[in-house]
Amino acid sequence: MNTEKGLDRRLLGRIIGYLMPYKHWVILAFCLVLLVSFLGPLRPWLIQIAIDNHIVPGELDGLVILMIALIGVLALEGALSYVNAYFTQWIGQQAIYDVRVRVFRHVQQQSLSFFDRTPIGRLITRTTSDVEALADVLSAGVVVIMGDMFKLLFIAAFMFSLNWVLALVTLCVMPFMLLVTLWFKRNVRGQYRETRKQVARLNSFMQEHVTGMQIVQLFGREQVEMNRFEKINDQHQIAQLKTVFFHSLFWPAVDIIASTAIGFVLWTGGVSALSGAITVGILIAFVQYCRQFFEPIRNLSEQFNTLQGAMAGAERIFDILDNDQSLPQVEKQIPQDRLEGEIVFDNVWFAYKNHDDGTPDWVLRGVSFKIRRGQDVAIVGATGSGKTTIISLLMRFYDIQKGRILLDGQDIRTFRLRYLRWRIGLVQQDVFLFSGSIARNIALDSPGITLDNVKQAAKAVGADKFIGQLPNGYDQDVRERGSSLSQGQRQLLSFARVLAHDPNILVLDEATSSIDTETEQMIQRALERTLEGRTSLVVAHRLSTIRYADTILVLHKGLLREQGTHDELVAAGGLYQTLYELQYREQEQLGASALVTEG
Amino acid sequence: MHSLARLNHYFIRYWRLFVPGLLFTMISAIFAIAVPVVVRQAVDSIPRFEVLYRQFQGTVLQHSLYWEIFWTLLIFGLIIIGLSLVSGLFSFLMRQTVIVASRHIEFDMRNTLYDHLQKLSASFYNRTKTGDVITRSTSDIEQVRRYIGPAIMYSTRALVIVIVAVVTMLIISPTLTLYALMPLSILGVAIFLVAHYVHKRSEALQRQYAQLTSRVQETLAGIRLVKAYAREKTETEAFEEESTLYKSRMLGLARVEAAWRPIFVVVVGLSQVMVVWVGGRLVTEGVITIGNIAEYIIYVGLMTWPIAAFGLVISMMQRASASSERIYEVLDEEPDISDGSRTDYSVTKLRGHVKFENVSFRYAEGLPYALRNVSFELHPGGSLAVVGRTGAGKTTLIELIVRLVEPTEGRILIDGKDLRDLPLSVVRESVGYVAQDLFLFSDSIGNNIAFGTVGASEEEIRQAAFEAELLETVLEFSEGLNSGVGERGVSLSGGQAQRTTIARALIREPKILIMDDALSSVDANTETRILEHLRRRQGQHSMILVSHRISSIQDLDQILVLDEGSLVEHGTHESLVEHDGLYAQMHRRQLLEARLEAIQ
Repeated sequence: MNTEKGLDRRLLGRIIGYLMPYKHWVILAFCLVLLVSFLGPLRPWLIQIAIDNHIVPGELDGLVILMIALIGVLALEGALSYVNAYFTQWIGQQAIYDVRVRVFRHVQQQSLSFFDRTPIGRLITRTTSDVEALADVLSAGVVVIMGDMFKLLFIAAFMFSLNWVLALVTLCVMPFMLLVTLWFKRNVRGQYRETRKQVARLNSFMQEHVTGMQIVQLFGREQVEMNRFEKINDQHQIAQLKTVFFHSLFWPAVDIIASTAIGFVLWTGGVSALSGAITVGILIAFVQYCRQFFEPIRNLSEQFNTLQGAMAGAERIFDILDNDQSLPQVEKQIPQDRLEGEIVFDNVWFAYKNHDDGTPDWVLRGVSFKIRRGQDVAIVGATGSGKTTIISLLMRFYDIQKGRILLDGQDIRTFRLRYLRWRIGLVQQDVFLFSGSIARNIALDSPGITLDNVKQAAKAVGADKFIGQLPNGYDQDVRERGSSLSQGQRQLLSFARVLAHDPNILVLDEATSSIDTETEQMIQRALERTLEGRTSLVVAHRLSTIRYADTILVLHKGLLREQGTHDELVAAGGLYQTLYELQYREQEQLGASALVTEG
Repeated sequence: MHSLARLNHYFIRYWRLFVPGLLFTMISAIFAIAVPVVVRQAVDSIPRFEVLYRQFQGTVLQHSLYWEIFWTLLIFGLIIIGLSLVSGLFSFLMRQTVIVASRHIEFDMRNTLYDHLQKLSASFYNRTKTGDVITRSTSDIEQVRRYIGPAIMYSTRALVIVIVAVVTMLIISPTLTLYALMPLSILGVAIFLVAHYVHKRSEALQRQYAQLTSRVQETLAGIRLVKAYAREKTETEAFEEESTLYKSRMLGLARVEAAWRPIFVVVVGLSQVMVVWVGGRLVTEGVITIGNIAEYIIYVGLMTWPIAAFGLVISMMQRASASSERIYEVLDEEPDISDGSRTDYSVTKLRGHVKFENVSFRYAEGLPYALRNVSFELHPGGSLAVVGRTGAGKTTLIELIVRLVEPTEGRILIDGKDLRDLPLSVVRESVGYVAQDLFLFSDSIGNNIAFGTVGASEEEIRQAAFEAELLETVLEFSEGLNSGVGERGVSLSGGQAQRTTIARALIREPKILIMDDALSSVDANTETRILEHLRRRQGQHSMILVSHRISSIQDLDQILVLDEGSLVEHGTHESLVEHDGLYAQMHRRQLLEARLEAIQ
């Protein structure tokens, strides 16, 4: 229990730490809250003066001034409590903005292995709803709790200054109010938890059965499932009804206690009035204080609840922030304007994850090869042989476990990540499009790429034709309904993208999905245009690509098994021969038949 | 508001709760409103007592007068407490009837909705998002409930309190009442406006929240590209932009919400000022007593919430109306596949004869055909394989047989009768369907298998699990068949989940067994064993297998090869290999793949 409290305090301290940049504003907000807390109880006090000094003796001259003062207090209290409610939100939202952006930056910096392991949904929750939970603490939480506490103090102070006997009588009721509130909060909190559980059950039943409705219907289970649903629905109802029960008891109880206080005040007040110690005005002021007292008590117990909720969210956020898995960056910068483009893999071993027994599940086992400047190299192999991994390693999406990867003779870990990735252009198998226009998807908002560059690149790869046919041309939103691009068009866009960025090395994961011959030829031309004058590494799925390559690397189960030109490898009659039959022969036949029909 | 009228039958159904509930509401309100009257009496009596007490100063009577006054005042106090006790009791009863009734109605509505959802066919689920259906069955129903329960309760209570209080106040002093009510009258309007804008701006905030979420979603989904193009900075900037917008939406909401408290403070405060100011004059003129001022101050306090409630209730009704429209949108939806007037209910069992006569299908007019002019015949006890590339129309063909969709042209005959004339329940009872989508319920493995048939015995479950080659694996789990399947089958491997869906179909002893690519996640050895079990059942059911693997279907009676919706080849394995077409090509490729896999 103790350690839990300590942990909470540490957490709370850390949360409040996010308010530090705005500490001057927080102090200002605090002063405002203090003033509002004072003005509320001031009003009954002014009314008391009005009654006792003016109305009862019948001196109405001073009443006007007092009433104007009262209206002034009222206006000030109204204005300040508005400003204050908004202002605390404003401070909280500034701090929340900082937290949110920080979480986002942090997540984005993590290495790809982090993303392989963490479901995207969870990361989205961290940056959105968990941060949201914090907002309650950062905006209202601290300031409002303080404000309510002071309000209680001020009310008590005013009561005592008017008449300490009546003040004590009113305060006598306080413990009951507190008790009832605590009793209610305790029961209702448990009940809320139960209700939430039931709501979650209801939702997950719904979610599951709406998704699997086909199965329910095909297996003729409607009646059985209906019965199950009714049962869950019933339990949900029972939980809700219990909550209703506590509410039904609580609100009347609060009224009864407040009325009891009034009853006591009238009784003792009336009796003391006999000795002249108490005036009618004081009595009326106390009737109002009895009602004012309850509000801060209820608010306080509510605030503590939100505070607890926020703690859970904060803990999850800090878990992410404290766990940094971004790739180590070297401070040393290599001043280079461009890469020559010589690539060396030197006995590279790599595993994405470990086996259950802790030994690495090797994807690459001691792969070594060298690509000279300007060479075009194709990688071939069956599914799961490690082709795409080689590309990911060259981009330094992951760090290798053993061996070295050299670029222009330097270990790639000595390059700045940003620079490294800037100079290596990647074309992925399935082209990812960001929301936004075609132009934006080619330029990717990179500095120095103008619309002219975009158009040139699109023209060079032959994408300008279909772009010109879109209703809004380069400004066409790619995610808008009805303007969805075909697989081939997406491919062309990604070539234009890479060409616009003019990298020194090109890595390319060719698309496997079949496309029509016309697009196929366009892509072929685009590819050749893009490869010009660059070192390239291509995971090949097309016959034309392996024909074009200077060297072919044959991967099989994580080993580099064969290496050479197409003709050499076919002549050798090894693994490549089988692969060729399996993956490329058909294309050759199709090509041949196409030629025949054309001829 | 028309859609709210459709809810009226619920009020009638629960009149036993609503009628006493509204009565309790009124009683509670009347007792609450009686408290200020007593306070006035007490306050007014105090100066009188004081004067009286002074007159008797020094006499013997003063002492007994003191106790007389003491007891009188105590009785005043006790009456106040008593009145609020009675009011509290009835307010407890009020919630226990009206709010409870609203919960009953919520329960009924949700059952009705779910019951209806079970009747709707695939086309509805294809065009409706799951989240949307769930929203309707949760938050929309909750909005409607708030109208049925709290809104009606508040407005009744408010009406009684306001009428009684205003009448009492008017009797005391029409002038003072006018001044006291002047500020209060704007409260209802102000609260309605604030509630209205709060709702509107919360919706805008929710939309921006969705925008922010999809921004994060996009960056994270495209994280490879983001990193490859070193785009982290631009992504952060875009995120900052969305966050800024979110912040400003939030603050926009805060600007309206911040008005809640000041409105109450200023309006109620102004009323009090009016009471003291104008009332003060009236007291000195002798029109009213000082006690009336205390009374009025309490009335103003009492009426604050009811008047505010009017504004809230109107806003609640607006929302409930929109929500009930959304609920009725679902309830008014007619299932497009169901039994009709031509249904022949004399059919209670099927033999398993399936015949397609020139069947074509497309999802909608103008879309390309998913299946074109397909004909074949499967005799009871026979077996049929369907092969073809992705998108060739295999799954569509299967869905036609179980009548998840209906042919656009041509017809399907089962046991010689048009499928559309057979009772839907009989067709589905006779079919064991293993879908491509490995959908399991978050329940135990045993219960997932038993899902196939109502009241399955332990022995039957074991037998089905055995035939699906699942039993041995499952018995190794610590809880055996009682082991839970996580949400959507996550804790099981793909192969285990797939075998569970097979067992679920087998336990039904179907007349037609349909497996849509149902062996894709099991390894070759297990596949062989499952096929052996199925072969032992030969003759008991007709079997239709969709597969990518030639090895698993080559022994079947007939093989259909689909390509782009058309039946391009049809025959036995041998005849198709001989034919040297698409099937033979697939066969060759798979042999090569197997050879490659074998190389170490």
